[in-house]
Parts: sequence; C-alpha cells; structure tokens
Amino acid sequence: MPVVILHPNLLRKMTGVDATNEKLKEDLFNLGLEFNGEDEDGNFQLEFAPDRLDRLSIEGIARSLRYYYGQDRGVFIPQLNPPNWTIFLRHPIPHKRPYVTGAIVRGIKLDDSILKSLIQLQEKLHDTIGRDRAKGSIGIHDLSMIKTTETLDGMSSISYRGTVPSEPSFVPLGLKEELTPEQVLESHPTGKKYTKLVDGDQQFPAFFDDLGLFSLPPIINSARTEVTIDSRDLLIELTGTDQWTIDRMLNIICYALEAHGATLEEINIQTPDSTVRKPDFSLDTKNVDHARIEQVLGTRLSPNDVIDLLERSGLDGKTIVPPYRGEIPHQESQYRVTIPPYRVDVLHPLDIIDDIGRTHGFHKLKPRYPAVATIGGRTANSSLERAIRQVLIGIGFEDLLNFNLTNKTENFSKMKLKDGIEAYGSHDPVEILEPYSAEYTIIRTWVLPSLLMVLENNTHRAYPQNLIEIGFTAKVDPTKDTRVGENYAIAATITHSQASYEESKSKLQVLCQRFNKRLETLPISHPTFIEGRTASIVIDGEPKGILGEIHPEVLNLHGIELPVSAFELPLNSFI
Amino acid sequence: MTIKLPQNQKIVFETISPTEEKTFDQISEETNLKFEYISGASFALEEQGLISITTHSISEFSLTDEGSHYLQHSLPELRLYEAVRLLGELGTKFDLSQAIDQSSLDKNEVSVALSNYARKDYGTINQGKIVSSRDFDTQSDPEQVALTSINQGTEIDQSVIARLESRGLININQLTKRSIILTKKGASERKKGVQISESITSLTPQMLSQGNWEHLEYATYNVEAEAAPYIGGRVHLLRETAEKVKDTLVGMGFQEMEGPHVDSEFWINDCLFMPQDHPARTHWDQFALSVSPAQNLPPDLVKKVQSAHLDGVGTDGDGYHSPWSEAVALRVGLRGHTTSLSMRYLSGQAIGPLEPPQRFFSVEKVYRNDTLDPTHLLEFFQIEGWVMAENLSVRDLMGTFTEFYRQFGITNLKFKPHYNPYTEPSFELFGEHPRTGKLIEIGNSGLFRDEVLRPLGITCDVMAWGLALERLLMLMYGFEDIRDVHGTLCDLQLLRSTGVSY
Repeated sequence: MPVVILHPNLLRKMTGVDATNEKLKEDLFNLGLEFNGEDEDGNFQLEFAPDRLDRLSIEGIARSLRYYYGQDRGVFIPQLNPPNWTIFLRHPIPHKRPYVTGAIVRGIKLDDSILKSLIQLQEKLHDTIGRDRAKGSIGIHDLSMIKTTETLDGMSSISYRGTVPSEPSFVPLGLKEELTPEQVLESHPTGKKYTKLVDGDQQFPAFFDDLGLFSLPPIINSARTEVTIDSRDLLIELTGTDQWTIDRMLNIICYALEAHGATLEEINIQTPDSTVRKPDFSLDTKNVDHARIEQVLGTRLSPNDVIDLLERSGLDGKTIVPPYRGEIPHQESQYRVTIPPYRVDVLHPLDIIDDIGRTHGFHKLKPRYPAVATIGGRTANSSLERAIRQVLIGIGFEDLLNFNLTNKTENFSKMKLKDGIEAYGSHDPVEILEPYSAEYTIIRTWVLPSLLMVLENNTHRAYPQNLIEIGFTAKVDPTKDTRVGENYAIAATITHSQASYEESKSKLQVLCQRFNKRLETLPISHPTFIEGRTASIVIDGEPKGILGEIHPEVLNLHGIELPVSAFELPLNSFI
Repeated sequence: MTIKLPQNQKIVFETISPTEEKTFDQISEETNLKFEYISGASFALEEQGLISITTHSISEFSLTDEGSHYLQHSLPELRLYEAVRLLGELGTKFDLSQAIDQSSLDKNEVSVALSNYARKDYGTINQGKIVSSRDFDTQSDPEQVALTSINQGTEIDQSVIARLESRGLININQLTKRSIILTKKGASERKKGVQISESITSLTPQMLSQGNWEHLEYATYNVEAEAAPYIGGRVHLLRETAEKVKDTLVGMGFQEMEGPHVDSEFWINDCLFMPQDHPARTHWDQFALSVSPAQNLPPDLVKKVQSAHLDGVGTDGDGYHSPWSEAVALRVGLRGHTTSLSMRYLSGQAIGPLEPPQRFFSVEKVYRNDTLDPTHLLEFFQIEGWVMAENLSVRDLMGTFTEFYRQFGITNLKFKPHYNPYTEPSFELFGEHPRTGKLIEIGNSGLFRDEVLRPLGITCDVMAWGLALERLLMLMYGFEDIRDVHGTLCDLQLLRSTGVSY
C-alpha cells in the first residue's frame, strides 16, 4: 500500500486546527489513513488505500481534515481562467499513447517542501491509477522555458505527436549532453526502466515547442523545462491510454496546486476530430436512497444529518424526494449528491454511503450480532481427512504441513523419476509462468518428495522420524475446466536404524482396517524404491498407491543416512 | 546345601541372636538398614522358620494440654487446699468464695477443684463453707507426682494411671513392638553359612507363572532419573490451529466450502469486480500458470460480469475505465484468496442456488508471488467467512468478527475504514496483541458491492471477512520465523516441543 510522508506541523498549518499529534493520528485513522511510524524529523508515515488518490498529497489530506472538522463544506470548484494555450494532437498520433490532457497553473509560490510534495504526488499517481505510467503519466514543466510564437487568435501552441527513435536529440532532465529518444531508452536509468512501454515502437510519443522536443512521455522531461522553486507558472501535461484516467489525474494535481494559492487556467486540446478545454471540472451526480444509507450503517439518521455528513465529506447533497412529515424520513426519500472532480472512486451510490459512514465515524457504531440462524458443518472430504489424520497420529506419526509449490529437481530427479516413465508420482506437472525463484516453479505431483526434504533438513534431530502428510497435489488435465486435476494424497515415511518395509505395511494395514478397506500389496517396480521391496497398494481391488523401502541412491541424494520405508496413496481411496 | 537369601535378609539373619530377643529398632541401629527393610526381611525369615517374632504390646503415656498445665501450676484441688490452709486452722469453717479468691483458680478450674477436694478427702464443703480436715504435703500427691514422672519419662505409679486418664490429663498409646530371636533351625542353618541370592531388575512372565518371585529382591531404581525421550505422534501445529478455527466457525453456524486451488481469473478476480488492469492481477503478485485457458465458464454469468466491469450496475452505476476481455478472464492461475470459492458458491455453481440466511467459511491455502522471508510465505492459509442475509449493515459485520476473535482471546477491536475493489464499505480490523498489547492488523472485511452480487443473481446482502491463519498462529505462539513451522523448511524440534493448545 502506498505510503505518504508529511509533517504534522504542516497539517496543523493547512487545516488551521492546532490538533495534537495523537488527535491527528486518531482522526486520520477514522478517515482511513493508517499511521505507520515517524521518522527522526517528526514526519508522519501514513499508509493509505488507493481509492482516495486526492489524499496522496498533504494538500488533499488537509482538505479532508478541514471537511471532517466542519471548516469547509460542500463541493468546491476552483476558479478556471479561459485558455491562452493550445496542445495540438498531431499526426503521427502515438498509437500506444493516443490521449492527452493538461492545464496551466499560474502564480505558484514553491518552496522545497511543496516541490517535494508535488513530486511525491506525481510518483504516487503514476504508481496507482497510472498503472506504473502505462495508463497515464504526468509531465510538469516551467512554462517560462517553453517557447512558442503566438497564433492568429493570440494562443500559444505546442504539439504532441509521435517521433522517430533517432531524432530529435534533446538534453534530458538530470543530464548535460543531448540524446536521441532511442539513446534515452538505452542509457538513461528511467529510460531503461520504462523500455517496455515504448519498445518496439517506431514512434516515440513526444511534446514539441518551437525549440524542439521538451517531453518524452512516459519516460522523461527535458532539462530545459525543469521546475525549480523559482518557477512561477507551470504547464501540466498528461498522456496515456484512457482519457478519463488522465483527466482525473490532472484534476487531482490541479486541486493540490490551487491549495497553495495558484490560479488555474484552461488549455485547449485540439485533436484532428475535436477541440475541448481541459481541465474538465464538470460534476458527476448520483442518487442515493435514504433507506439504503440507514440499512448499511445500521443507524437512524435525519435528512439534516445526511446533508451535513455529505457536506463534511466534500460532497453536496439535495433532498429530491422530500421526507414525509418533515422529520421521519419516508422510505422512498432520496438525495441527489454532487461529486467533486478529484474523486475517482465513486462508481456507485454505495461509495457515497461509505463517505457518509467515515465522516459520521464508523467507530461510533455499535457492533451487533446478526440474528439469523444457520447450521454449521464440515465437508465430507474435510471430515475424512481429519479422521485419517487422527488414526495415523494414533499409531505414532508426526503430522506435517509442507509447501505445495516445489521444483522439478525435488519432485522428480532427486526421486530418480525420469521423463517418460509411468510410475506413481510421474505426472505432467503444473508449471508457474515466469517464476521468481528457481526453488518454486511447479505444483508438486506427489507428496513423498516433500517428506524426504523434511528428513533432509532434520538429520540433526532425534530419531525415529515417522512423518505423515495429507497434502495437495496437482497435474495437468485438459479434460478439467481449469485444465488441472487436483488431488489430496496421504504420504508416510518411517526413518530409524531399523526401518523396514514390514513396519510401513503394518501401519498401512491398521489404516485400512480402521476404514474397512481390503488391502493387497502386489509386487511392482518403481525407480524411487528398492527393487524387490516395492509394492502397489491395492484397495478393494483397485490399484491406488505405492509402498516400499526407499532406494539408497535417493537417500544419498537427500543426505539421509538411515533407511526409510514409505507409502503414499490418494485420500479418496478411503471414501 | 547352604541357603540363599537376598541381601537384606542375610544381614538381619546374621545379626540376630539365638538367646537374646532384639527389637526391630535395635537391629535397625546395628545394621544401618531402614526399619521397613528390617520388618520385611524378618517376616520373610519367619516364614522360612529361621527366626521367631514375638509381638509385645506396650503402653506409652503423654500429657494432654490440661495435664501439662497442671504439671506447671499444680492440680486445682491442691491449690484450693493450700488456700484454705493459708486462711487458718484445720477444722475451721471459711467462706468458700474467700477460699476460691485466695487460691486464684480460674473459672474452669473451680469445679475440678471442688469435685476432687471432696473425693480425695481433704475436708468438707457444705452450704458455701469449706473446711480442711487433715494435714499433708501437696507435692507428694500421687497424681501430681505421676504427672512429673510421665513428663520426665521415669517410672510411673500404675495405680493412678486410670484416674489420670479419666480426668483427661494423659493420653495412653498402645504400641506394638516386635522382637526377634533365632530358632533352632535358624541356628543350625547359620552354622552352615549363608549365601546372597540375586536381586532382579525385571519381573518376567516365567517368574510369575513358576512362582519363584517370592524370595526375590528387586534392585532399587533411581526413580528420580530422566527417562528416555519418547517421540510419538502429533498433529501439526498449524493444522491444529486450523482445526480450532474450523471448530469455532462451525460452532457459529458456518458451513465449510471446498473448491479448486487452481482457477480461472474469472472466479478469482473478475467476479470480484477487480479491473483487469489492476496491479494485483499481474504476475508480480499472482502466480500465473502455463496451462491452456480455462473452459466452460457459464456464458450468461460472463456477460453479466463483463457488463458490470464496463458499465457498472444499477441506474447510477459506473464501470471501470479499463479494458475487459474474456481471454483475460479465462487465464488460469493459483488463487490469491479463497474468495474465488465464495464466488462459486454465491453464483450457485458450487452447490446450487443459495437463499438467505447462509453462513459459509473456508480455511485453505492461497498463493502469493511474494519473497520468502520470516513473515511471508508463497503459500499460506486464509481464513474466509461470509454471511448472506437480508438487510445487513456494517454493524452486523463488526458484531460477527468481534465474536469470532473473542474466541481466540483477542478483544478491543478497532475498525479502520479501508478499500477493497469488491467490498464497500470495507474495514481493516485491528486488535490488541495478546502479549505485547500493541495494536496490530488482524484482518480485512466488508460488505460485497452490488457490482459483485447482482451479476451473480444475489439480491440480498453479503458480508465477508478474512485473515491469514499464520498471522493468528504467530499471535498465539509468538514464533519468529514462520518457515520453521509451515513448509518443507520446518524444524522438527520446534514442532515437537511446542505445547498443545486447547
């Protein structure tokens, strides 16, 4: 979960409330921001969930607190001045990144902490809704460094289009020398990181002014337009694969900058098909039923309560179906709720009810136990597994719980199971796509290898080590809906200086007798076991599993220096 | 042929005399053997006719508290007599009350003094007057003397014993003392010499059936020593905890779910209203498997879920601004949560359509593509529970798991509003660590969104919560490294030595 770092003093300043650190932490907790710790400078580390992206910056958090404390109420729309700039979306339109939006921000007074907060906001938006820049990426530029000639109608213009990998060259942010777009991809650290987003493209998306290329989204800006604490006017541009997403990201940034006293100015976005003005601060509305509010929260609220809570959540609410008799809410009463443009999470009236709940304070609601009666129970397989386990423990086995994930070496080669041999355990394994670790690349096809691994890791522990596991196994099976056949198997190993086939069989006999199953053990060969001391386990006439003394080569491969006898068979043999 | 005796019997046999009786105590002192051994050996020897035992009964006397009191202060009647003598001449009548005052007898002693004064013929008491009629030395009173003798252990005047006992001034203990003496047979056997027979360690079936256990001695064991360690069978710790959770949930009316570990994205994520471009759906978080895409998804349901993703649900519902394709939904992976089972059950696919009220749970494995470290595994157990009913509120959610956690000793829950793509409202649950008292996260919960429930055909409410079983385990036991417990890297010694929880 993303972590935002901010100083409580700044919060106190921006909310105008001199709350103690403890009260701040508590109020933030009740809004949904978890305090994760403090650093040595007294900065709070707040962990939060990615529904309220407006709270990715201190400006957004302070705004939420002001609403919560009642100092601000209702939807706030900052003033938007008419545009003086146009972004032209020109051919070749970058087909991997065809959407663009932006805004001009004037008169911002930046200092180190605000700049840092802005950069943190940009990064966090990239990480969350921006899908690691693939869906949306943000470029922030010092407007005074962008050179254009005015068009006929007095607008300044820049363009956004695709460019070839080899030109033009520009000086990327943080460097001194000029690089071409493909050189940036190869040598700049950010270029290397985001290669996957542009690689294989013959056109790199880029922004141009009269002087040349000044932004290569989603990778890097130019050094020329770098924002410093002296920058007064900014150009915010966003590009991506979804218009709505980048528009919302833009709104969040605009609101954060406006909170520091800047003025917002629209930009014309001119595509071959249309001209629109951004940012788009038009308001969504949703209708919320009073009855649903009371039902979800489990408490009575008056319409005045509801409106108050909506306003203190940064929303606006209007009763559209008035309550009957003014005080007792009619069951059909409804509110039309207006939603500010920095919200990305309100998909359904329920999301508004959640807001109402948080502002009211969920912690104020008293838990109650639902008065519905249901009968509990275990599944048949679960009960069988427990019964089998109890019998095996009762005859002296130590129960284990191993990993289902393993690798081919442990599952096959160290057991002397080679490809192409048909034997218990040798199934087509289910493989993990692009695994991180070489240790965990398949789902195990049988359980005995896991027991042998435990024996291998515990040669310094006392013997006997009589181990069992009732474990999950899988194999490829195209006939299944999920293409995988899943099974539970009972596996046992007996290890001590006198371990023998007979001892294993004797325990298996007990197990079968307890579950009224007829047991036969017919001679068979299996590479994991000693020839002549291996049997196929036949239950009620059906061959099911394998039993025998483990081959010394297998023991050797596991570093086990005592004899091991073992058996394995499917759990469903006992149904 | 010389006789064979076990060691203790041999010692006793050689110590006793043919002419003089010796008590057990005496023999014990002489041989340094404990009294019980002498006793045992003697009876054994007697049975063989080698010695004879005589039993004497002896009386032992001791003073009661009252007797000790009179030992110090003189018998009450003697003090009364001395008081009368102090008042004046023999034969003179004095006021009884005056005499009692003079004697400084206390209340209980007065009646004792009066009855014995008359009995012992010191004088007469009549109509409140007392007379002394003879002269004698109180210190030579036989009863008084007897008290001293008993206390000092010297010879006692037997004639006053009965009287002292009836006055409650002495206790008489009857003791049995035994003494032994060599018989003629014993003497002649002893002349021949005695050998020691073996002491045995184990009683065998042959000894028991042949009856030659009678004359055997058992080698003494050091019963305090540690016995050899025994390993024996045992349920796995985590399994035990899982069983405890299952029992708790069944007890709260929850039914167990079952279903595949490997499943299609459709059931794992799409039904849960997770946008297809959500970061948690990449292979950075979730295990994708290299098998063919899944088949046989219910087509109507797929359409409804797709519609929910793109256009939302309800008159005011919005979808995600993310692409949706059936191809992605058909990809097969290892489930990252058991909510895939909940979706299968809620949709009616698992056990048929469900009507409220219902409570279901699962405690089974889920898989996350994480890095293996002391607190993170690639596979762990998730506890998942959900309740379907009409008109559920967040209060019902809070109430249900308040009760669940209470069963594990975790109280004082706090609910932090949270976000999940599939529940709204959602809460993270925090509870007090049972030992450190710190507030720690112990679960995630919420009411399922309409976008999840309506495509599945559910018109009432469903609330759900979950947590990792390993987390509960770490809380209960305080282990430092979960890999020592769960998985092939486990430490058998830790599993063996951790106590049982019940």
